[in-house]
Amino acid sequence: MYEPRIIAFLCTWCSYTGADSAGIARMKSPANIRDIRVPCSGRVSPELIMRAFNQGADGVLALGCHVGECHYDTGNHRAAKRIPALHALMTYAGLEPERLRLDWVSASEGERFSKIATEFTEAVRALGPIHWKMESRRLEEAAKRMELESESVPLPPADCAGKTDAIRLKARELLSSQAVECVIGYEVGPRGRTRPVFIHSPEDVERLVWNPGCVNNLTSYLDDKLTPVGGKEPPKPVAVVAKPCDSRAVNVLVAEHRFEREKVHVIGVTCEGVAGEDGNLQFRCVNCQERTPVVYDTLVGAPVEGRASDVPARRIGQMEALAPAERMEFWLGEFDRCIRCYACRQACPLCDCPVCLFERDDSLWVGMGIGLDEKRTFHLGRAYHMAGRCVGCGECERACPMDIPVCLLNHKMAQEIEKMFGHRAGMTVAPSPIITILSGEYKEG
Amino acid sequence: MTDQWASANKRWAVTQEQLAGWLDSLAKVRTIIAPRDVSGVLLFRKVADSSQVAWGFGRTVMSVKEAFLPSTERLLTIHKTGQEVRLEVELAEGQQIIFGVRPCDARGVRMLDAVFLDSNPVDPYYAARRANTALVGLACRQVGASCFCTATGGAPDEAGDMDVMLYETGEGYLVEAVTERGRFLIPGGEWPQTRQPRPQVQPPEAAFTVPAREDWPRFFNQAEYWDRMAERCHSCRVCAYICPTCRCFAVRDEALPKPGEYERIRCWDSCEGKNYRLVAGGHRPRSVKGERIRNRMFCKFMYFPEQYDLDEAACTGCGRCIDACPVNLDITEIVTELGRLA
Amino acid sequence: MSDNPMKPYLGRLAEVKDLASEIKLFRVELMNGGCEAFQGYQPGQFAFLSAFGLGEAPFGIANACGQGNTLDFAVNRLGSVTTGLHEMGEGDILGVRGPMGNSFPMEAFKGRDLVVLGGGIGGAPLRPVIQTVLANRADYGQLTILWAARHPSLLVFTDEYEAWRSAPDTRLHLTVDQADPAWDHNTGLITDLLRKVNPSPKNAVTITCGPPIMIYYVSRMLGEMGFSPVNNYVTLEARMHCGLGKCGRCNLGEKLICVDGPVFNMAEVGNMLETFL
Repeated sequence: MYEPRIIAFLCTWCSYTGADSAGIARMKSPANIRDIRVPCSGRVSPELIMRAFNQGADGVLALGCHVGECHYDTGNHRAAKRIPALHALMTYAGLEPERLRLDWVSASEGERFSKIATEFTEAVRALGPIHWKMESRRLEEAAKRMELESESVPLPPADCAGKTDAIRLKARELLSSQAVECVIGYEVGPRGRTRPVFIHSPEDVERLVWNPGCVNNLTSYLDDKLTPVGGKEPPKPVAVVAKPCDSRAVNVLVAEHRFEREKVHVIGVTCEGVAGEDGNLQFRCVNCQERTPVVYDTLVGAPVEGRASDVPARRIGQMEALAPAERMEFWLGEFDRCIRCYACRQACPLCDCPVCLFERDDSLWVGMGIGLDEKRTFHLGRAYHMAGRCVGCGECERACPMDIPVCLLNHKMAQEIEKMFGHRAGMTVAPSPIITILSGEYKEG
Repeated sequence: MTDQWASANKRWAVTQEQLAGWLDSLAKVRTIIAPRDVSGVLLFRKVADSSQVAWGFGRTVMSVKEAFLPSTERLLTIHKTGQEVRLEVELAEGQQIIFGVRPCDARGVRMLDAVFLDSNPVDPYYAARRANTALVGLACRQVGASCFCTATGGAPDEAGDMDVMLYETGEGYLVEAVTERGRFLIPGGEWPQTRQPRPQVQPPEAAFTVPAREDWPRFFNQAEYWDRMAERCHSCRVCAYICPTCRCFAVRDEALPKPGEYERIRCWDSCEGKNYRLVAGGHRPRSVKGERIRNRMFCKFMYFPEQYDLDEAACTGCGRCIDACPVNLDITEIVTELGRLA
Repeated sequence: MSDNPMKPYLGRLAEVKDLASEIKLFRVELMNGGCEAFQGYQPGQFAFLSAFGLGEAPFGIANACGQGNTLDFAVNRLGSVTTGLHEMGEGDILGVRGPMGNSFPMEAFKGRDLVVLGGGIGGAPLRPVIQTVLANRADYGQLTILWAARHPSLLVFTDEYEAWRSAPDTRLHLTVDQADPAWDHNTGLITDLLRKVNPSPKNAVTITCGPPIMIYYVSRMLGEMGFSPVNNYVTLEARMHCGLGKCGRCNLGEKLICVDGPVFNMAEVGNMLETFL
């Protein structure tokens, strides 16, 4: 007989005490709930909640002080921002929304605690056990993936020659005057593929090009290039050729104190869109309003009109139209192909933790194995970490050798963050609204 | 290439229908793995019958390495109760046939054999899978833009590493049994024998010459060269995971749901990863990208062959790494430029 | 070796004692077939110890075969596996795989003077060499031991120093980078001590083990002092996962430390040592 297993994160000052007072007053609360006492609901990081689900919890309850009553002033504000964002992600990934609940219970509200605990347990009981697993038989059948809406748009004309000349001119100037140590741009390789290039001397600037093959997000090299290496001289400035989407990453990186703005000379290029594998416009470009970089030191190219398309939003809509179980099956089917190569993470300009949470030697957040559970944990975890930070450059999806629609997760989170906070990553120098930067802790250098 | 088979051994000519029928009957008694369309990605997966094969397939995204060295594999199940410990090992069972293997991939398997079977001690997990698996190969009629098998000693119609070899002709296939095991699979009496020669195939232009193994040591200290080559590398490891011969793995114990139960697993890893050589205490050899790329190239063309007594480089020329690398790092380019260094 | 070299033998922890700060000595009694596997193991070989549930790591066998009926291992608590091992007590079961690797050419060392240099826990794999020499004293020439650590609390096998000192034709020199008030031996790096002791290269071999940077600088100095690289032996370590020459992780150029080593002479690996740092 299925008894739901529920983890409840209760804050010491309010909800835990509330739960206590419910017990003392002999009010009935379900025995299914395992309490985990935390100092504050703001401590309840989404990783903890995901871990609870990964370890088999059928439901997770997070209870904090009422807004305005937090013992730490704004701790519960963090919970109020982060947990709904996580909730949107988990629901989108196929977890029934009723399995996660955030609510507020004060120390004296024993009855309220009891009511919420009972309501929640019954809601989770009605759903049945959590169904993260897909029958392996189902996976072996290599079920056809649901057709995602797409739009095939021919590449618009662009003044590639003019932009190429302008980039080379600027690069020559910057390198000759030694304003920068290198220019990170694009070149065409011997096989005809456009790829990143690092130009260190003015004689080599003729290698730089601009063409529809300029797909890479070159800002992903900035963090490494500009991080001081112990004992060596501080790194010299670099220049980077940036498309509008790439340029947004510069703002996020600066907001997160990865390097100083003055260390980068952004050669921003207006962009008509880049080519996908079939020679048409790459999918991320079909709906793009920012055709001029949002931050630049040098601007190359004439202004370009934005292009609107509702197809990306309709893709998200397709997912949302599915029932949770179907949605879950879709995502598990996609994650099944994953080989945990981490190409998505490495290609991302913003993913750069010294030791990735999901690659720890002690398997704290996820095991090392390349199994479905682990892969689901990694992808959903990373999508959460990108919320409010992802600039939509699409490199993660392009780098994936298995064509996993990683962007479909990231776009959803971007949509949620915009809905909740009116924030779009990288449009200004501002961190993600669900990241709290503690004042005084982040110092330069 | 002399066509010895026509005179010395049997060769059969079959139609597409006969081939499909053969697969269907094999599927009743063996597990068949073949190229399939998995949500638009061409991968080797189990097929229930010939209709599930993605006929007309080219190069799969992943090599057949997965069938012998899976991305994750349980080595031991560990039961701990109090002070008692009990260990269990389960080796793979069940006969299987991999259909549609390209010569480059089969060569990759042979190189993995050099590591796991031919060098002491024998790896029992790999050995079990290998003993239970037959390879039915398909010669390449055309070569891909990134293929370079001939530069590393292979050929698009090389049959030596298969059990059964197929060659596409205009009307169907020629079939050859390469090994005893292969002969056993062929329904000899039912198929018409033929003296038709193997179809000619245009091999890829040898895109470059691989420097001789003895030349490689002098490339080692060219730090500036390696740094330059590696500059755009993201250390993402795709190249190693899709490669038919890369076999580095990590071993770790993970908890199982039941208390006191653990599994010791091994799974793929790659020297391109930033933290591959990280040790407890924080020391991290090969922390520079150029050192990692250098190690991978040296491993393919010098270390691996030296260590496991191969006459040729441990690169099959399948070209997957060239196409999959997000920043177009190109092994042929790296090696060509290397050869030009003074 | 057993038919499954990835499956450990079980061993019982017969004794655990503190060797130095955060370093313990484990004495392991082998069970179920392990005894046969380890019969006749040689100085320099190593084994993998499993803290079941956490993982495995390689450790040099710190005693010579025949010196006691257990395998000795010095374990420094640094990561998850070693922490797991440190939390074990006498009677607990762990896993042992081995013996692995090559060994010191003790036969070739006979009749020659030996200079043994151990840095920190690096002294542990050198102890079987010292024990073998002392047990067959007449077969070997002069034995000079240079033993170093960052701090007196990190010196290993301190309770054996008396026995070493009092053996015939054997000298022990100690040094620490940073002394404490009770310290009355040398202070300074092992390279300073080496220069001071100034052993003669004539008919001598050196055996060094310690952190990579120490091996690097000691080797350079030995070269300056007239030792030929072919007479300088080192035992190296790297992160290992299989110990059997399969997983590829421990390569030093085309050599694998687990099967071509861990014992090398500097003529073989001297030019590769920089990749180790």
